[in-house]
Parts: sequence; C-alpha cells; structure tokens
Amino acid sequence: MHSSLTVAPARRRPAARVWRDRLPGIVMGGPAVLVFVAMFIVPMILAFVLSLTDWNGYSLNFTFIGFENYTEVFRNPRTVDAAIFTAVVAFFGTVLCNGVGLALAALIAGPGRTNTLMRTIFFYPYIISALIIGFLWSAILAPEGAVNELLGHLGIPAVPFLTEVGFAKASVILTIVWSHFGFNMILFLAGIKSVPTEYYEAATVDGASRWQQFRAVTLPLIAPVFTVNLVLTLVGLLKVYDVVLALTDGGPAASTQTIVYQILKDSFAQSRLGFGAAQAVILLLVTAVLGLAVTFARRGAEKKVAA
Amino acid sequence: MPSLTTRSTPAPVADGAPAAARVAPPPPARRRTTKVRTPLTGRVVKWIVLGATALVMLVPLYIMVINAFKPQEAIISSPLAIGPDTFSLEYLQAALTSEKFNVVRAYGVTLLFVALVNLCGIALAAPVAYVIARGRSKWHLGLLLLFVSGLFIPGQVTLIPVVFVLRVLGLINTIPGFILFETAATLPVTIFLFAAYLRTVPRDIDEAAALDGAGRIRAFWSCVFPIMRPVVATIVVLNSISVWNDFVSPQIILGPSSGIYTVTTGVYAAVGEFSTDYTTVFPTLLLAVSPAIVFFVVMQRHIIGGLVAGATKG
Repeated sequence: MHSSLTVAPARRRPAARVWRDRLPGIVMGGPAVLVFVAMFIVPMILAFVLSLTDWNGYSLNFTFIGFENYTEVFRNPRTVDAAIFTAVVAFFGTVLCNGVGLALAALIAGPGRTNTLMRTIFFYPYIISALIIGFLWSAILAPEGAVNELLGHLGIPAVPFLTEVGFAKASVILTIVWSHFGFNMILFLAGIKSVPTEYYEAATVDGASRWQQFRAVTLPLIAPVFTVNLVLTLVGLLKVYDVVLALTDGGPAASTQTIVYQILKDSFAQSRLGFGAAQAVILLLVTAVLGLAVTFARRGAEKKVAA
Repeated sequence: MPSLTTRSTPAPVADGAPAAARVAPPPPARRRTTKVRTPLTGRVVKWIVLGATALVMLVPLYIMVINAFKPQEAIISSPLAIGPDTFSLEYLQAALTSEKFNVVRAYGVTLLFVALVNLCGIALAAPVAYVIARGRSKWHLGLLLLFVSGLFIPGQVTLIPVVFVLRVLGLINTIPGFILFETAATLPVTIFLFAAYLRTVPRDIDEAAALDGAGRIRAFWSCVFPIMRPVVATIVVLNSISVWNDFVSPQIILGPSSGIYTVTTGVYAAVGEFSTDYTTVFPTLLLAVSPAIVFFVVMQRHIIGGLVAGATKG
C-alpha cells in the first residue's frame, strides 16, 4: 500500500502534464472539429440513413423502406432524363469552358494594358451570382428579347431560344460557358505566366513557330493547371442548379432539369427528402468517382510529359 | 497594338548582350521582320477574336444597364438603344422602394452574413490550422485529411441531412442555423490554405512568444495570427464572394417563412414571378449586381490572386 502510494503519483504526474500540454491544442482545435462534424460528417452519414427512409422533411417520424428510393432513381424517367442532361452539360460545359478559356488565355498572356482590360472583361461574370446571370440571359433570349430583336432587323425569324427543347438545352450550356470560362482562363493565365521565358527563347532559337512553341512548351508545362481546371469545372457542373432555375426553370417540358434541380424539387417542393437523399448520395459517389478518375488519368499524362 | 513586337524584342536584348544590341540595332530589326511577316494577319485575326468576345461579354451588361431606365414598350421595341425621350429614373426608384423586395435591407442582411461567416470561419479555422501545421503526429495529419475531405463534398448533397440536423437542433429557419452551415462550408478551404501558409512561418516566432511567457493560445493570436494577413485576405475574398452569391443555402435554410431575404433569394422572390415585366426585371438585376461589380473593380487583383491560390493549392 505504501509503495503504491508513492508509485501512483509518479505515474500520474506525466499523464497530467501530457494533458496540460494537450489542453491548448484541444481548446484551439475543438470548436472547428465540432462544427465540421455537425455540419459535414453527421450529415454525410445521415444522408445515407435518410435515403433509406420516406422522410418528408417536417415530422421526425418516418419509416425505413430499404433500398426502394435507390431502385426508384433508376426507374424514374424524370431522374434518368435529368441525369442524362446533367452529363451533357458537364461534358460540353467542361470542354467549351476549358477550350475557350485556354485559347483566350494564350491570346492575352502577354503584358500590356489591353490584355489586362480583356482579362477583366472576360472574367467579370464569374463574380456575379449564377442566379442573376440566369435571369439576365432569360430576359435577353426571351421571344421579345434583345437577341431576337436584333435577328428581326436582319430579317431572321424569332428563334425559340428558351421555349424549344434543343435550343433551350444549348442556351443553358452556352450561358454557363459565357459566365464560367473566365475562371478557367484566369487559371490558365497563371499557368502560362509561370513558364520560364528561357524556354521560349530556346524554342525561338530552334526556329519554332508560335504555334509550335505553344504545343511543345506551353501545353506540357501547364499540364497540372489543366488537370485542376478540368476537375473543378466537371465537379462544379455536375451540381449546376441556380442558372437553370433562373434561365429556363427546368423547361420546356422538363427538358433542362439537372440532377440537383431534381433533388431539390423532390426534396422540398414534393416533400420527399428520403428520395432526394438517395439521389444526392448517388450524385456524391458519381462526383467522387469522376473527379478521381480525371485526376488519375491526367496524372498519367502529366508524368508522360515530365519523362 | 504593338504589344507583340515590343514584347518579343526587349527580352533577348536584356538577356543577351545589352551593349552589343545598343551599338548594333540590326539583330532586333531582323528578328522583328521574321516575327511580323506571318503574324500580321495573325494579329488582325487575334484582335478580331478578342474584340468580338469582348462585345459578347459586355453587351448583356449594357442591355441590363440601359433597360433599367426605360419603359416596357421601349425595352421590347428597341432593347439596344436609349434616348432622352424614353429615359426615366422611375423604374429604378420603384425597384429601390419595392415592397416585394427591399433591396437596401437585402444589402444589409447579406453584408451582415458575409461579415459573420468570415469572422466565425476565420476564428474557428485559424487556431486549428495552427495546431495542424505545428503538430508532428499522425493525428494532426488525420485531422487535416478530415477537413480536406470536405472539399469534395458538394454542399447540395449535405443540404438535406443538414436540414434534418438543424431541425433537431431547433435552428432551422434561423440566422444562427444559416451562419453555422455557411461557416462549416468555408472550413475546408480555409483550414487547408491556412495550414499550408503556417508551415512557411518559422517556429522561432512561437518560441520567442513562449520565452516571453505567453501560453500557446495567446502566442498564436498575438504573435502568429498577425503574420497571416495575406492568406487571411485571400480567404476573406473567397468567402465573401461565395456567401454573397449563394442562393440555395439561404433559400432552403432560412426559407421564405423566415422573412429574411439575401440579395439572391430576394431577387428570386421579386423577379421569379414577374419575369415578363422587364421594368421590374432589369432595375432589380442592376441593383443586385452593382455591389458585386464595384467590389470586383476595386478588389480585382486580390480576387483573381485569391481564386488562383485557392484553386491551385486546393
């Protein structure tokens, strides 16, 4: 007994000191961890749990219905159509935003005031809310809007930009490209400007044309920026919503509803949060898989360049 | 437009033999002729492309601005023109004093949200980023990975269960609930950039503060945090833009029943129902985008620098 009394404090003291040393770290890190767990980790787990229920969003009483919501996702034609349109938007949006962004970045990469002005003009829509961009273009592309008025002067009959299925889909994609390519361009510009000028001088000495320089020097050296641009645009466009809501409100005939449009409509307008959660879980998985797939595919390309 | 030629000539002159170049101008001259021979048409095409794109980018802005001052018939009959006979401030004034959408109040509410989210986000993220950046154990790395995983979780996916959590907490349709969600949404990027920046801050500063008898928490806030000014500025820019433009979270978490409108949810409430009454649409949109445009013009360099840093490091 006597010995245990002397041993115990000796053992306890370092433990207490460890905790005293850890205390500031816990006080500094604790609140952020708590908020993050409450608003990210718990919801992530809940999203899966709720996707197995028929929760309506109001009452806290609901029943588990197994994987019924998931099987409905693949049976429901509206969800399938929304998924297909989202894929189309994501694909063409990513290709066009990056294509236009890269081309314009290459054109205005030099110093000079005109180039800076161009950068500002091309980029500014990115800082405007997508909802407002959607409303603005919806007014411009309306049957009596500015574009049709202009076409009328040229003797061209009014184009149903937002009221005919094919045109409406194209209008959604082009509006997204209009407002988003500036962001891709900014990243490409940063990449192009980080290429050491000696490389271009060496290429000029070798007699390479500007196009050859772009292909052999610029493109390989901005490969990492390319990857970031592709992944960010793709992942961002898979959850496009605001601009569609304001531009076409999913119409005509539900042809421009995206998957997030569908999720929010099912969840909150139709009070089927369980079904919405199932679609959200699938969207999360698809986003993660595609994002990682592009990253790894590009990493291969980046390595080939480095070798 | 001589940017192309002036850009290509000085670089080799400065890098090569400056004295020789000054004495003998022929080399740059020869270079210029080889450059210009083909690119002359190339340059014309370049400026046509840039000019046309600039027009496509600016005309919608122009349409929005001029049509905010015109009656409905004039907007429809000649959307691209404005004359003194149709010009009127009446519609802008009507939008400013509209009972459906109080723009001035929405500015105030949204600015308050932007400020609160920035304040809460930075107050939460900075200390934990410091702990992560200074920590050496695998726990600290795990903590960083935990937060960074949030970068890949789209807000729309967690929104439904977040509604559930906020309902359980009794915070749904309240400002604290909204601030809590938006703050959490800023944490992954903020912590990631803060931790990356703090790794470049020498430990000597912490040790000097410790020698002066400051505890770890005080040492951080009084000695390390002030050094983080550049990265804090980047984060403030990024968070401000995303909170100002967010539509879905305030629409769902605050909801119309709360009676609290941000600029975006207010525009949706006001324009959504009147989308063919252009005397409401254009002035409302103009009022909604003006602060963002002014902010962009004033802060352009910081915004672009911040976006590049956020995207390429994140």
